[in-house]
Amino acid sequence: MSRVLRLALLLIVVGCIYLFVAHPYWFPAGVSASSAPIDHQFRIAFWVFGALFIVGHLVLIFVLSKKPPEDGKISTGSWRLEVTWTLAVTIIFFWFNISGERLWSRIMPSARQAGEIEIEVTGAQFQWYFRYPGADRVFGRIDASKFAKPDEGNPLGIDPSDPSGHDDILSTAMIVPVGHSVHLHLRAQDVIHSLFIPAMRFKQDTVPGMEIHSHFTPTQTGNYEIACAELCGMGHYRMRAMVRVLSEDDFQRWIKAQEAAAAGH
Amino acid sequence: MTISTPSAATSSNRSFLRCHVFSTDHKVIGRAYFFLSLAAVLVGAWLSLLMRIHLVWPKATLLLLGEIKPENYLAQLTMHGTLMVFFVLSTVPQSGFGTFFLPLQLGASNMAFPRLTAAGFWTALLSFCVLMAAFFVPGGPSGAGWTQYPPLSALASAGPGQALGTDLWLASIGLFCLSSLMSAVGFVATTIHHRAPGMAWLRMPLTCWSWFVTSLLILLAFGILLAAVVLLMLDRHAGTSFFIPGGLLVSGKAIAHSGGSPLMWQHLFWFFGHPEVYIAILPAMGVTSHLLSVFARKPVFGYKAMVGATLAIGALGFMVWGHHMFVSGMNPYAGFAFSTLTTAIAVPSAIKTFNWVATLYGGRIRYVTPLLFSAGFVSLFITGGLTGPILAQPALDTYLHDTYFVVAHFHLIMAMAGVFAIFSATYFWFPKMFGRMMNETSGRWHFWITLFGAYATFMPMHLLGIAGHPRRYSELSGVQYVTAMAPLQKFITVAVIVTLAGQVIFLVNLFWSMFKGRKAEANPWECTTLEWTLKSPAPAEGFGDQRPQVNHGPYEYNISGAEKDFVMQDAPAS
Amino acid sequence: MPIISDRVEVERKPKLGGGGPGKIPHRRGFGGGDDGDHGNSGDFRSREQRMRRYRVGMTLCIISVTAVFVLLTMVYVFRMGKGRFDEDAHRWVRDWIPLTLPYVQLWTNSLILLLSSLTLELARRSMAKKEEFAAMGIVPPRLGRDLPWLGITVFLGFCFLVGQVLVWNILRSQGAFLASNPSRSLFYILTGTHAVHLVGGLVVLLYAVAGRLLAIKFESQRIAVEVTGWYWHYLAFLWFGIFALVHFARG
Repeated sequence: MSRVLRLALLLIVVGCIYLFVAHPYWFPAGVSASSAPIDHQFRIAFWVFGALFIVGHLVLIFVLSKKPPEDGKISTGSWRLEVTWTLAVTIIFFWFNISGERLWSRIMPSARQAGEIEIEVTGAQFQWYFRYPGADRVFGRIDASKFAKPDEGNPLGIDPSDPSGHDDILSTAMIVPVGHSVHLHLRAQDVIHSLFIPAMRFKQDTVPGMEIHSHFTPTQTGNYEIACAELCGMGHYRMRAMVRVLSEDDFQRWIKAQEAAAAGH
Repeated sequence: MTISTPSAATSSNRSFLRCHVFSTDHKVIGRAYFFLSLAAVLVGAWLSLLMRIHLVWPKATLLLLGEIKPENYLAQLTMHGTLMVFFVLSTVPQSGFGTFFLPLQLGASNMAFPRLTAAGFWTALLSFCVLMAAFFVPGGPSGAGWTQYPPLSALASAGPGQALGTDLWLASIGLFCLSSLMSAVGFVATTIHHRAPGMAWLRMPLTCWSWFVTSLLILLAFGILLAAVVLLMLDRHAGTSFFIPGGLLVSGKAIAHSGGSPLMWQHLFWFFGHPEVYIAILPAMGVTSHLLSVFARKPVFGYKAMVGATLAIGALGFMVWGHHMFVSGMNPYAGFAFSTLTTAIAVPSAIKTFNWVATLYGGRIRYVTPLLFSAGFVSLFITGGLTGPILAQPALDTYLHDTYFVVAHFHLIMAMAGVFAIFSATYFWFPKMFGRMMNETSGRWHFWITLFGAYATFMPMHLLGIAGHPRRYSELSGVQYVTAMAPLQKFITVAVIVTLAGQVIFLVNLFWSMFKGRKAEANPWECTTLEWTLKSPAPAEGFGDQRPQVNHGPYEYNISGAEKDFVMQDAPAS
Repeated sequence: MPIISDRVEVERKPKLGGGGPGKIPHRRGFGGGDDGDHGNSGDFRSREQRMRRYRVGMTLCIISVTAVFVLLTMVYVFRMGKGRFDEDAHRWVRDWIPLTLPYVQLWTNSLILLLSSLTLELARRSMAKKEEFAAMGIVPPRLGRDLPWLGITVFLGFCFLVGQVLVWNILRSQGAFLASNPSRSLFYILTGTHAVHLVGGLVVLLYAVAGRLLAIKFESQRIAVEVTGWYWHYLAFLWFGIFALVHFARG
């Protein structure tokens, strides 16, 4: 029975290693400025904790095979051993933790930077809206309970009497230029949602009653999916949108076209 | 030497109702909790089966149930989580086995407050019934997850099941809080006050230590949940705005509330919620420590370190709640503090793992079913536990939060490891509870299917999470990159079906053995603790007039000078 | 089937192991029986055992209740300080409207509660004395100024609750309802939760008062009064804490 159990555990270890090595599914390619350091940290994480997983199981398999000692001396404890392995674990875990904290301090949501693209993201059941401030660089006032008329093209409830709102550009896709930092103003209209862009390694909950600021910098053109990552009701599974990363020129063209269209109204 | 105590009335001169229904006998109550949890786990497992089938075969029609509608998926998900976390993991290891065995292991004649303990059970049963009632009301059960984040949980218009279904959920959980608190008071008072003569604190089995620390956690944490639930109820029905901010537009209607903070709920809930997962796992760890020692025929390695680690986990458990909220909109600087404290709590958990392995080292291991499940616990605890420090990093959790990676983590460490401990405790204590042995061969089959099933089900989920698959999606068809992962989801569903089918072996074994199993002697496992000094099943009067005198520690296996390879705790001092 | 194993040595003084044969730590501990903290050799049903048991239980309840009130206090303080997020101003604004507290009524209630604590303490001591006499088999003498302290406590408890309802009525007449503003919500929650817990204590006291009529053992009555005494004093202390909070942190 001991042999069977050890074999089973070994099989499990091998199976898990195979699963992670073959990885039929893995991270999507990282296309933001922070994705490289994050992915690097993930690599370290999987190597370190993967190794601990393997070592832990090999030790377990080993002790299951260890025969009782010949001289019959058994130990009920050893402070030296306790201190040693506590120290070892503490060092490994805290080293990993500290490296992670340093990464966090680099990428965590922080103050505004110059030259950022400003986009306001609103999560609503079950649709993402992206608002650009337009030529005046100011977002118009929003009051969803008073002014929201989804059927008339004003799902966010932009106050019609606020002049800075007249040139706001509304989109159901997030359109950004490559290489620029994008500053997101995240909000929600009804319940908590979460803007999750796997390719950018970006996730931030959007909370009603709060305006949360975050940013990311796309480094490659292309189309990337957005998924909602906080249970928001029946349509949670289909609350998707796209991030379209355009070249600088294409983005300018798009923005100018939108501004012209907005001015035309 | 034994101490005389006036015995409780024997069972022969009491009515059936007094004996089995309104009993204050802790053994009857413990058994009742066991069966309550059994009912809950059957419903919870059934719900998970429905969920898994719907996810990969959305058009499947099930016998009697028809097609599973998307809104039902979220209700199933919520009820699955609620039943499993509260009525299984927080009930059977603590209130079930604890109520039955704490007094016996301590040498006490009963729990300190027998009527309070009984009231705790009846409140838990009522709580369960109220929760189940949600299946039968219009709109069905709540679909906001067991975490019930407002505003989704606070607004009846936010989804089906958010009206009466959520009210019933809140009422049920409120009752469950009261039940747990009642039970915990009894546990702590019994441990402090009713240990048999000679049962020093450091002679208590580790199961008793874990029940004790868990009860302290319950006393501090469940009151918080009760307060949060009351505040949410007030938001829903009394017009207050603790959690509902202003300016909301839900289903085209403006919501009148204003000024509340959804984050406040998260803080309150997780301040309870994190100790809750330790409430779920500490008794399981205690059982594992105990059983590894019994079946390795060796004392627990580092008993004092184990006690210290248990206390450390209990204390630190209250300081780490923010790691559930790294991307919630909480101050990102708070992430540093919670991340560090969470890493700290990994240390005592690792200490325990080392001590388990060291307990097995050089032991004359008896490969019976309880030992197999305990070894399985260690394996699953290592696997599930090691993804913890990864999730404890805000930089990494930003990506992994609310994906299947988290689902894999908590299922492996809480559900699978916890459940393995419940299984090993069931096989181990079955003779004392029901007077018969469970079938060993069936037990082994059960173990193998469950072990491989657990890994086959939850290891692939890590990959789904790494690829960015969010949680709580009722369909795979909404987001393209999620649809692409359907093949792996199918594999997982098949693994779940096989694993759940394997549990039928356990159920058949359980019920068949209750009536037809081999009759058990007093101490079939040759274990040293006091419950094994009694007949099997444990007689109604417990220790009766003969309170044990404890002269030995709880893990004296393979002691020199002894005839047998174990020394009972109440054997005469040598 | 016992396995006769080879004689093996185990460390006689287990350093990390738990306890050991003949090794009883001789420390005066907390709880447990009459010979330190290593177990209880007394009678489960004896007077001392029951009293100790209920005292331990009550301490645990008090710990749990404290956790709840600490939490509610933190909710109060955070809600007051943080305010709510104003989308137009793009910042947090304080929206806490300070309550005009009916101090006269509140102080009256506080005095009533304090008085009830006093009378309960007198009841407790009187019962303790009576029990000592009863244990010696002597009929307790009628003490000169022996008022029905317990009954008075119950009466004062009811007065306090009525006084609280009056406070709430005064607030409602001012237009301060539960949902009007967070300051009101939290005031009602704090005082309401306190009142609910007080009702619990009152029920137990009623049980003790009714004990004479229902022929409940004197010992049980005394235990009920003793532990409820602790609980009652705790609730009085808690009340002053709440009063201080809603006064000094009125916003």
